[in-house]
Amino acid sequence: MSETRRIRIGENGRLEEVEVVVPDGEPAIWDADARLSVVGTAVSRLDGLAKASGRARYTSDVRLPGMLHGRILRSPHPHARIAAIDATAAERLRGVRAVLTFERPDAFAAIAETDEAGKAVEGDAKAPAAGTRSLLYAGDEVAAVAAVSADVAEDALRLVKVRYDILPHVTDLEGARRPDAPPVFPGGNVRPAAVRKRGDIEAGFAQAAVVVEGIWRTPVALHNALETHGAVAAWKDGALTVWAATQGVFGCRDDLAKFFGIEAAKVRVVSEYLGGGFGAKFGAGIAAVVAAMLARKAGAPVRLMLDRAEESLATGNRPSTVQSLRVGAAADGTLTAIHLRSYGTGGIAGGAGCGGPVWNIYACPNVLVEEQDVHTNAGPAAPFRAPGYPQGSFALESALDDLAGRLGLDPLALRRRNYIAKPAKALETQYALASRAIGWDRRPQLGTAGGQDGRLRRGLGLGTAMWPMYGGPPADARVTIHSDGTVECACGTQDIGTGTRTAMAVIVAEVLGVRPAAVRVSLGDTAIGLYSPASGGSVTLNSILPAVRAAAEGAKTKFLAAVAPALGAAPGDLDLAGGEVRTRDGARRMPFAQAAARLRTTVAAAQASRVPNYPGRGIELFGAQFAEVVVDTWTGRVRVVRIAAAHDCGRVVDRLTAESQVCGGVVMGLSTALLEERVIDHDTGLVLNANLEDYKLAGTLEMPEIVPILTDVYDPANNVGVKGLGEPPIVPTAAAIANAVSHAIGRRVRELPITPARVLDLLARPAEA
Amino acid sequence: MRDERDDRPEDERDPADDLRAADPDAVDGEAVDGDAADGAGGVSRRDFLKGLGVGGGVVGAGLLAARAAGAAAQAGPRRLGPGPVSISLLVNGRSRTLSVEPRVTLLDALRDRLELTGAKEVCDRGSCGACTVLVDGRPVYACMMLALDARGRAITTIEGIGTPEKPHPIQSAFVEKDALQCGYCTPGFVVAARALLESRPSPTLDEVREGLAGHVCRCGAYTRVCEAVLAAAGRKGGVS
Repeated sequence: MSETRRIRIGENGRLEEVEVVVPDGEPAIWDADARLSVVGTAVSRLDGLAKASGRARYTSDVRLPGMLHGRILRSPHPHARIAAIDATAAERLRGVRAVLTFERPDAFAAIAETDEAGKAVEGDAKAPAAGTRSLLYAGDEVAAVAAVSADVAEDALRLVKVRYDILPHVTDLEGARRPDAPPVFPGGNVRPAAVRKRGDIEAGFAQAAVVVEGIWRTPVALHNALETHGAVAAWKDGALTVWAATQGVFGCRDDLAKFFGIEAAKVRVVSEYLGGGFGAKFGAGIAAVVAAMLARKAGAPVRLMLDRAEESLATGNRPSTVQSLRVGAAADGTLTAIHLRSYGTGGIAGGAGCGGPVWNIYACPNVLVEEQDVHTNAGPAAPFRAPGYPQGSFALESALDDLAGRLGLDPLALRRRNYIAKPAKALETQYALASRAIGWDRRPQLGTAGGQDGRLRRGLGLGTAMWPMYGGPPADARVTIHSDGTVECACGTQDIGTGTRTAMAVIVAEVLGVRPAAVRVSLGDTAIGLYSPASGGSVTLNSILPAVRAAAEGAKTKFLAAVAPALGAAPGDLDLAGGEVRTRDGARRMPFAQAAARLRTTVAAAQASRVPNYPGRGIELFGAQFAEVVVDTWTGRVRVVRIAAAHDCGRVVDRLTAESQVCGGVVMGLSTALLEERVIDHDTGLVLNANLEDYKLAGTLEMPEIVPILTDVYDPANNVGVKGLGEPPIVPTAAAIANAVSHAIGRRVRELPITPARVLDLLARPAEA
Repeated sequence: MRDERDDRPEDERDPADDLRAADPDAVDGEAVDGDAADGAGGVSRRDFLKGLGVGGGVVGAGLLAARAAGAAAQAGPRRLGPGPVSISLLVNGRSRTLSVEPRVTLLDALRDRLELTGAKEVCDRGSCGACTVLVDGRPVYACMMLALDARGRAITTIEGIGTPEKPHPIQSAFVEKDALQCGYCTPGFVVAARALLESRPSPTLDEVREGLAGHVCRCGAYTRVCEAVLAAAGRKGGVS
């Protein structure tokens, strides 16, 4: 049953009281009036020293007795059919324990693809109808070997004889759209457009005083998580244990169970530490499946970690986009119509849509979004941190700056006129704080338009962040107080580097009045048996922490009931704070551990499940970023000087790790803006920069000053009031930088990355108005 | 020497350079100072092996053996490999005996034979710094050095710098400043930071940025990494 509660919501002192309907038994909601002592402070990562001392054990560090090393042979051709394959010589090589060949069309048919929430979507894009298997990109899996060392396995791969029937390929986006292009899949390369519309854009453009339009392009980018995809697999008595580099242990488990036709209970997936995922590590993926296939065939545990080249070719990427964007506005800047037509390629997978920002960020009554996937003979795309948003934001925010220029409006004023209205939004606060941090007032005096005509020109730009996803059930957690005073919190979730472990401890510490470091957190293991969604789409904390809190409250109630007699008080008169059990008047106190020793049972424990989001509360995430750049007009180099990034994640749980999340998104966005691009030679169809020296990532030398600003927003859709923070910080960074560069040089940036060559090319053209 | 040689087309190279490359003193993939710090300098392992020809391990190991015997050149190269060779490595103050094929890198030897998995394999070709260890006190990309070439030299891995129970001040500073997220690059940064602060106890921010430029952090913890190193440098009593 449910009950109605009155809570106070709002942000930045603008608070209002509202009613929410919540399930019976839901803990007191942490709303704007909640006074918390641990939540929201800066808490050091519980696993910080394990990581900084090299002791944290990642999948790639797992070493089992008798463990073999696996390697995968990959297609050297962008499009071919396996005509014949002979692995005899490889099998005979000393030290080789198992060889698999993947010439059957259904070799990987049972591996489902997953979306950004880790849910299975259309399976098996890769299986053709009959005959031997087609290899659809350079890097597609051909065979695999397990041997006593990775070097011997590599030797064995060279002994696998493969005869390829080479087929015509197409890797360039424009080429793939031609009617006579070699088809990647039967039925052609250009998929039907996905269309969304609201209002009437023709009427909207008719009302517009000014219409701007343009074409913007973004390249294929690579996730390049530092730990590659991979797994260590071991079979025992028909049951499979897999240590996997995964963002979702349960999704990985279910994929493996399905692939091997065994019940999920016979598969255990462990991922205690993960060296980054960024969206490319949902489900089991081919690496974990092949590791388990090899382990089964060899009768020994197999470690299969991909190398950097394989990671670059075969494990995911952010699709490219070409965006034709048209935006109309009234004379006062009010948006009247937006029309986006985009296409792009995620290789043999889809996912090139980028219309989210146009659809979601600004209020506009008339919007038409047409998104189209184009297949090419290149590795499959995978969700990549805020899928579609950084690309879409780049075009949209660029067009809005064009619009502001045409209307003679300040770009920030244009955003303020149009940002989307939602309950308890913090955008106004975020614009104010971040624009002040960047010194937006200086903008009229900067850039070519501001009169700068020297070698170095300074510019300012901004972009708005928005992310619409949010967690919910199912998610389960358990909190246990042991009679020796130790506190445990368990949830089968995973910490992919975001600080999940620490956030769980912070919630438990708040409820039980102990230090976060005193909470032992168990996660990253399906054997824990407490479900969590995959960590992606910014849904981890807002899914699991409400369950953690409810479990902690349950354990607290049991604990206080058990220890109340020892304090000669009623349980309702007791509270937990400062490592003590106290009567509410503070007259009687007992240290937590001493009280725990009075437990008649060995533990006071409670398990709880996530309840649905409270209806009517805001679940969207907002933010605003402002960038300051200096462009060297002689060399074309862009130096980002400062980025002010204001974001909201609802209630901040751990200020330290939350700020890191913001800074990290900014860095990745900066890298996207200035450096990152997968390069394919279209004649050979081969990727030229499947490594970390030619695929450039931002490093310490590219770092600007980053000013993270977290605005507390109280609009709880769950008992903690936490939202997410993984995606929003990368959404507007490239857009803000591009707008700053355009401002500095007086020419509109239309393509990422903003390389020196592109800047010089722009500078060779006349300045725009 | 290294960069000059590398910049020349292969056919203009002096073969003697390649032989010199087999000298362990010449093959340090420096992670921190100067030219290698931009992530592009230095000899890639592939170039190194290519330069030595097919029997790279054989030639390199032969020279090493000769050098160790104090009888350079006269004896001619002694054939080692391609099968496993028994070697001793001085790691974190302990002598460890292991059996490796001459082609095995120091990184693989540490991770796969000695179970010192703190140094990470990320790029495997000297572009990212995740495998950085100290060799005779200098930061080296362990993926760029053959295990055989590390014989007789003092190797310090992240495991030798501090423990969770007794952390080095740099490690404590990384945690306090939250200079890490997924943590996969962190051991490399910590080792490089230690070498940086040994050679430059009170660096400026720009010196820290230069010094750590050979390292990649995909989570984007760079600004806090630099803060942590500066904080560690500022601690009373130094950081060694």
